[in-house]
Amino acid sequence: MRDLTPLRDLLDHHVVGHDEVKTALLLALITREHIYVEGPPGTAKTRLAEVAAKGSELDFFFYQLHRDTRLAELVGDIVLERRKVKTDGNARGTAGEAERIHQRIEPGGLLTAEVAVLDDISRAPGEALNVLLRILNERRFGAEPIPLMAAIATGNPMDDEYYNEPLDPANLDRFALQLRVSGLIQSGVDEAKTLIDRFASGSVVEQPDPEPVTDRATLDALNRRMYQVEIGAAVRAALLDVLRTLVLEFECNETNSLLTDRTFLVKAIKILRGAALLAGRTAVDLQDLAALSWMTTFRVPPEAHEALPRIIGRVSRQVRAV
Amino acid sequence: MTLAAPNHRATELAAAFVELRTALGRVLVGQDDAATGLTLALLAEQHAYLEGPPGCGKSELAAALAALSGARTHTLVFHRDIRETDLLGDVLLSRHRHRGHERLRRELIPGPLLQAEIALLEDLPRSPGEALGPLLRILAERHALGHPLPLESAVATGPLEQVEAPIDPLEPGQLDRFAVQLRLTGLLTGGLFDEAAVLLERGAAREPSRAGARSAVMSTATRKAAQRAAAALQVEPRTIDAYHRLLDRLRQRTADESASGDRLMSDRSFSSAALRLVRAHAFLRGAPAAAPRDLGAIRYMVAHRLPDEVQEDFDHILEELLGDPPNVTMAETGAQMPGAQSQGDDSDGAAAASPASDSWIDDQADLPAPPTLFGKPPPPAQVDPLLRALVGRIERGRIDPDTDPGGQPRGYRPLRDLDELIDADLIEALLFADGRLPGAPRTFERKRRSAGGAVAVLRDISASMAGRLTVWSSQVVLGILRVAARRRMRVGYVEFHHRALPHHVGGRLLHRSYSRLAEQAGQAKAVGQTNYEAPLRTALEGLRGGSGRNRHVVLLTDGLPIIGDTTVRRERQLARRLGVALHTVFLGNGDCPPVLDDISIETAGLRFHGRPLAGGGLRLEER
Repeated sequence: MRDLTPLRDLLDHHVVGHDEVKTALLLALITREHIYVEGPPGTAKTRLAEVAAKGSELDFFFYQLHRDTRLAELVGDIVLERRKVKTDGNARGTAGEAERIHQRIEPGGLLTAEVAVLDDISRAPGEALNVLLRILNERRFGAEPIPLMAAIATGNPMDDEYYNEPLDPANLDRFALQLRVSGLIQSGVDEAKTLIDRFASGSVVEQPDPEPVTDRATLDALNRRMYQVEIGAAVRAALLDVLRTLVLEFECNETNSLLTDRTFLVKAIKILRGAALLAGRTAVDLQDLAALSWMTTFRVPPEAHEALPRIIGRVSRQVRAV
Repeated sequence: MTLAAPNHRATELAAAFVELRTALGRVLVGQDDAATGLTLALLAEQHAYLEGPPGCGKSELAAALAALSGARTHTLVFHRDIRETDLLGDVLLSRHRHRGHERLRRELIPGPLLQAEIALLEDLPRSPGEALGPLLRILAERHALGHPLPLESAVATGPLEQVEAPIDPLEPGQLDRFAVQLRLTGLLTGGLFDEAAVLLERGAAREPSRAGARSAVMSTATRKAAQRAAAALQVEPRTIDAYHRLLDRLRQRTADESASGDRLMSDRSFSSAALRLVRAHAFLRGAPAAAPRDLGAIRYMVAHRLPDEVQEDFDHILEELLGDPPNVTMAETGAQMPGAQSQGDDSDGAAAASPASDSWIDDQADLPAPPTLFGKPPPPAQVDPLLRALVGRIERGRIDPDTDPGGQPRGYRPLRDLDELIDADLIEALLFADGRLPGAPRTFERKRRSAGGAVAVLRDISASMAGRLTVWSSQVVLGILRVAARRRMRVGYVEFHHRALPHHVGGRLLHRSYSRLAEQAGQAKAVGQTNYEAPLRTALEGLRGGSGRNRHVVLLTDGLPIIGDTTVRRERQLARRLGVALHTVFLGNGDCPPVLDDISIETAGLRFHGRPLAGGGLRLEER
């Protein structure tokens, strides 16, 4: 069966570096979970999302959020239907006519897309996001299922000094995968050189349109295969131990964290299976637990997130020893 | 008095609801009390409000109730911009010509919500109060647009109160429309790891979960017959007697000023609704009449009606009253029902994992309990006057909303720009477009409250603060942290003696790591001498970079400043310029230093004085 290597190659071809974000994007497409990428402007966040969507030949919806964002802009058009109805006239027996006015939404935008890129999500008022994110979560609008596979949201880091309203925690929880990126040049990593070389050589057109290298059928097949990936009692026990450590040792609670049951007891299983599948395994291995740190980025206090690899290492050793 | 023997039909009807209860209990792991509460609500035809942290399964449970009960359901997701027509139905605009002039009339045609037997109101508190008022009244009256509603139960969901800043919490009066009030706890954050393991095991199945694909366990005829039969159930005289005594107890306990939490024992809820629930409880048990033990149903009503401590004690209060153990949970009694047995056999282990019966109360302790320096914790009650005054002050900073295009609709204004048509009154916009409206349509006036804000606590830890005062000031600090955490305000904590010892997190004085500070506050040791200048300067420097009106400093001290500028003139000036309120709390039996009064008066801060009492308590009052 085909895998996502061509898509990964495509991402590598178009964007230098950002290894983790690329892997997480593929994971989002396989597991059908949403992903939030936070980073400073100009770190290829939107570009990565666009390449992933176009490279898999999916219907693509791009929306730049702003502080006046209204629901209608995201889901299509508000339509008023006017229908003439007969009335009996009023009490005095005069002839009358009446109109019944019905408001509905003509689906568009997010409701018809397979991949949605929601740019600068941190700019929209929390309240406007609520319905949007509920649609993302339930993949339904009213009673109608929507074809959306994954939403990729980007945001700028919110510095308390100039932005004093954090994203509503419930809203952030709708994005199972959460990553933080930093600029290659700013952080001075080796890839910064590659990036500059690439543009210096003059052989690369800036922002070329990516060719489709995979398709919906492939992604559907991978999604079905994901559910066949075995997740045994040992891995589940290890996962629970990691969560227990976060609650008991790092005191993650409802005030300082978003350690929700939905994310860590339901979605985590999918993410681990997806990670195993991406690595070419048919059963989840303890090393796949590393994917958990793509879930904790903005859900637990920074010190707990930083300690996660250590916690996973310790728990894995204990589980192996048993 | 002789009681009628339970007839066969009633047993059958009860069995259907026991089956519903069992099936609901299986939907969520470890949320048995919520399942029971919802079952009782539907059986007693009462509305229910479910609250809990994100992702704990509120919506799933509510949707499952609708599906399993076979009721005609309409789901409405509430949001900032919800309109009257979303709630009530289509608009009928009629034009009547009469003697040469035209009369326009606008009516509403009942929409799907008004035709539903179960109405699911998701995220109810996310709508502005203005939009909710009419809806909540309709729910209570069960009558709209001139017609009685077929509505049996409205089930609303909402976040835990006040945790999320942009939301105005529902008032107790609004919540009172929901007879049943349930709080769900997250399994992970609630420490229910065994239940968490069960949930993980479910997820390991080799197919996608099919949530929502549930079929009804009863017919509409059965449901309605059971509701009628439950409503007609006798209430034993001794039950009524016990109920009066229970209400007496609850009144006594609630009258205690010190307890925190809501207090609303309305006639509406504690007369008809309560007795309907008590009857439903008895009916579900298969009892021929409501016995005193069925008063246990009242505990599904109290989340927003009684102070938190009284809620936690509810089972105990009832137990004392009845003189026998209160382990009358539905899980046990239900299992003895004929219908429940077969259901129980193929149970997937969820029922076995149900927690102890008293776990239905989500204890609100967001933060570690106050430190116990003397073996037992002193009563937290006595710091409440200060906290209440402080909360009032903080709320005042949030109360006046600013006009903001992204805010909540709070009234109307004339349209100024065609772009605003999207926000205009629907019908007026239509008439405007038709050229039939003189003038411009009304459009929403949007406002938003300034969220966020910050509070810095400055705590004197000089040598004179040793012993009892340390404990009291720890409690004040923890109380303030709790207030701030609920509002997602940033907090800062500075201990001081002759020097200021700020507790930075991530290099910042102000942050949201509430529990870390709570831990710090419990470890303070008293040493050194008093200096006001250094801590005030540190706090104001930390607040300087921020913006907004809602910024506070609370200075806790027991003595005169000895070191530094004892008049803190420059700091007072800076606070005034920054618009920061400096609240001062003086602890001790002596006279409060006048400089503290000056500080507070100049910056519109609160002034408190806490006097240690002979019995070990502390009397805290405004200076």
